Amino acid sequence: MREPAQPLQRHRPRPRSPRIYPHIACATLCSLLLGCGQDSSTVTRSTQPVSGGTLVYATDREPTCLDPHVAGDMPQVFVAQQYLDSLVSMDQQGRIGPWLAKSWEVSADGLSYSFHLRNDVHFTDGTPFNAAAVKANLDHMANPKTQSSTAGGYIRQYRSTEVRDEFTAVVHLATPYAAFLEVLAQGFLGIQSPTALLRPRDVNCESPVGSGPFKVVRWERQSQVELVRNPDYNWAPPTARHQGPAWLERIVWKFILEPSVRFASLQAGEVDVIEALPPESHEAARRNPDLTLIIAQRPGNPTNGTLNITRAPFDDLRVREAFVRSADIEGALKSVYFSEFPRAGGPLSPATRFYSADFQHAQDYDPARAARLLDEAGWTQRDSEGYRTRNGQRLQVHVVMGNRTPPSEYTLWEQVQATTRLAGFELIVEQMSDVQATKRQADWDYDIRLGYWNTNTADVLRIIFSSEFIRPAGVGGYHQNTAGFADPAFDGILQQALATQDAEQRRGLYYQAQQIASAQYLQLTTYPQSTRLGIYKTTQGVRLEPSLAVTYLYDAWVNK
Amino acid sequence: MSRTTLSPRRERLARLGRRALWRLAGGILVLWAVATLTFFALRLMPGDPVLAILGGPSGNPTAETIAEATREYGLDKPLPVQYALYLGRLVQGDLGISYSQHLPVTRVLAQQSWPTLELTLSSLALAWLLVLALTVVTAGRRRWLASLASLAETLAAALPHFWLGILLLALFAFGLRLFPPAGSDGWRTLVLPSIALAIPLAGFIAQVTRESLELTLEQPFVLTARTRGLSDLAVRFKHALRHAVLPGVSLSGWAIGALISGAVVIEVIFSRKGLGRQLYQAVQAQDLPLTIGISLVVAAGYVLANIVVDLLYQWLDPRQQGNPA
Repeated sequence: MREPAQPLQRHRPRPRSPRIYPHIACATLCSLLLGCGQDSSTVTRSTQPVSGGTLVYATDREPTCLDPHVAGDMPQVFVAQQYLDSLVSMDQQGRIGPWLAKSWEVSADGLSYSFHLRNDVHFTDGTPFNAAAVKANLDHMANPKTQSSTAGGYIRQYRSTEVRDEFTAVVHLATPYAAFLEVLAQGFLGIQSPTALLRPRDVNCESPVGSGPFKVVRWERQSQVELVRNPDYNWAPPTARHQGPAWLERIVWKFILEPSVRFASLQAGEVDVIEALPPESHEAARRNPDLTLIIAQRPGNPTNGTLNITRAPFDDLRVREAFVRSADIEGALKSVYFSEFPRAGGPLSPATRFYSADFQHAQDYDPARAARLLDEAGWTQRDSEGYRTRNGQRLQVHVVMGNRTPPSEYTLWEQVQATTRLAGFELIVEQMSDVQATKRQADWDYDIRLGYWNTNTADVLRIIFSSEFIRPAGVGGYHQNTAGFADPAFDGILQQALATQDAEQRRGLYYQAQQIASAQYLQLTTYPQSTRLGIYKTTQGVRLEPSLAVTYLYDAWVNK
Repeated sequence: MSRTTLSPRRERLARLGRRALWRLAGGILVLWAVATLTFFALRLMPGDPVLAILGGPSGNPTAETIAEATREYGLDKPLPVQYALYLGRLVQGDLGISYSQHLPVTRVLAQQSWPTLELTLSSLALAWLLVLALTVVTAGRRRWLASLASLAETLAAALPHFWLGILLLALFAFGLRLFPPAGSDGWRTLVLPSIALAIPLAGFIAQVTRESLELTLEQPFVLTARTRGLSDLAVRFKHALRHAVLPGVSLSGWAIGALISGAVVIEVIFSRKGLGRQLYQAVQAQDLPLTIGISLVVAAGYVLANIVVDLLYQWLDPRQQGNPA
């Protein structure tokens, strides 16, 4: 849930009916009591891939559009990764490699990228892949009619694409943007058939066409998407484990909303892979010999509450640090998420390239330090209810939440409320409709907004903390820099980092940026976003594509 | 043709036809009210609808994108103009394009209506089966048996759908693995959701039916039937039931509405396709065309069900035909 401000790439956990939620634990319990331990016959797991067969995948949220250029929500990129290829690939270390582009050069001023393209690729509708296709795709993302979020955050610098020859495309940018190659590796910027893109947006949403290992054949709403193998596929990225067509003949991509039902279906072997394994089921899944787990953190800005520093009391750095230090996040993660989610202590998730562990402990629980800081800041009195006051005014902060905030997240903030109260903060949790919450954000009328941002580049720091994102992106009037932080030195560092392709230089600059953001206590970070898969014993070879920790079924096979 | 030459039968049919027409006209008024109320309720919610369309607080649209979407959905016009345009299109059968589904609303309705109708009808049928089995056999029997059955009915009527749904899932889907826990293809996926919806409804209908059956069984004509040597069950099914089901039948019209609201929860729990789950998502996304579209279909179903119940009532109870309302 990128619920507050920005997520381009947001992943909002499936909205649950609040009435249903408390009972899920009961269902899970029942499933534990009744459901485990049956059918314990072991299948000998062969490491030899098998061609053919159908894999049934179950996830929580249904995309609203299968074309990932439109909007830009996490469920879209999970499907897109199966039927789209990208211009470039990204490996586990965050390094960029070839894919549909064999090689590229960046001009000295950082404003032009010349991509030399593969000449043996075609889309599943027969359209050949070439420089014109690259142009059609980037233009499509930038076109306001596409309703793309990607355009606003990731390729604002895009100006035009020049088709130099059949297989050379030169992309022109307005300002240097070293993170361009990184964002191109995300499935959100996957390359679609230019012929298919000529159709109206809503048609392309339903039956998009790519060049990937699978193709979309049918989308039955509120039920499933069916994909079949692309028999011509012969242009897998260097990160793949094999070449040629995918092993699987067919994928049935189901939507099962209830976490306990999804997990029970996996235990019963009715589905082969589930996504968004609920944290309360992790332990049961580990103990079940029929199941394996893949849990990976997503890169970007971890789940957090961002503090509005443009008004009191968070305009005072000491109060910000005191608030962060008085929130016992480790304790809350233990009780709400059963210690299944690690603490995120810095502004970047550990899965982000150029992340530094040096800032991991800047937010550790330290009530004594919090008390000292509040005294220094002049919040020395306590009123009859135990809250701190200054000049007769109570130390009050408002957290504004949209109504899609999942109940577990709400509970987490109730725990923050309880522990910060001991330090003398009155934390008021206000829940309202998403649109109202957006309005409050646009008016800067909040002290804390919840959010996260999944992206594969440290340049996310520029989107959430640089002064260029304080201004609203559009007439709707909301800003991505929810903290309201504006520091020319910080902006300068991030601009410098975009102007160089040198990895070590970038590392040094992003280190400085993390240092500043951490020392300013702009966010209370809680845990990194993660992708959590449960896999049944009949399925092997499932991997996560590293750019956004997205399921990648090209190398998977079933042995049923 | 002069009035005096009409046969009583034709006159009754004509009266029935007029009655149906009046009720249809009333139904159309109800549909207009539903469309209008939903339109203004959603439009007057605070916040800019364009932001809801473009992904709410989490979207990151550029100024150009917002301007384009405002134009595309006609949101730049004054509200009364938008309302008039909307009604105009509605009359022509155009329900617009769903913001959140990127599909014409009529297509969403076509895809999602049948699974909900299937669920509603099977639940109603199952509920009536339970009612008949329970009441006809136990009404007016030994006191303890009747009170036990009556207690069961009261309990059943009070059970919340979501609780029942999760219990059934835990027992029959996760535990015994008799039925699939999720999905909407095939009769096996229909069993548990139907039971979850039918049990509380059966509790309601059975309470009314039992009371009226007990009254009927004390009527002189029942005694007459018994003296003619009919068996007890034959008396109950052939004679008493026809009188006793009337309140239950009129309750069934209301039940259609109750079932559809129950379907919202049940479709979410059992991951079924359907209007209920779609409505839940449409409201959350502030998807105006889709919310109105689904509300209209549900209201139309409700109106239609009540007309059918009305006519069924006439057929079951010929006394009603003499004094039309």
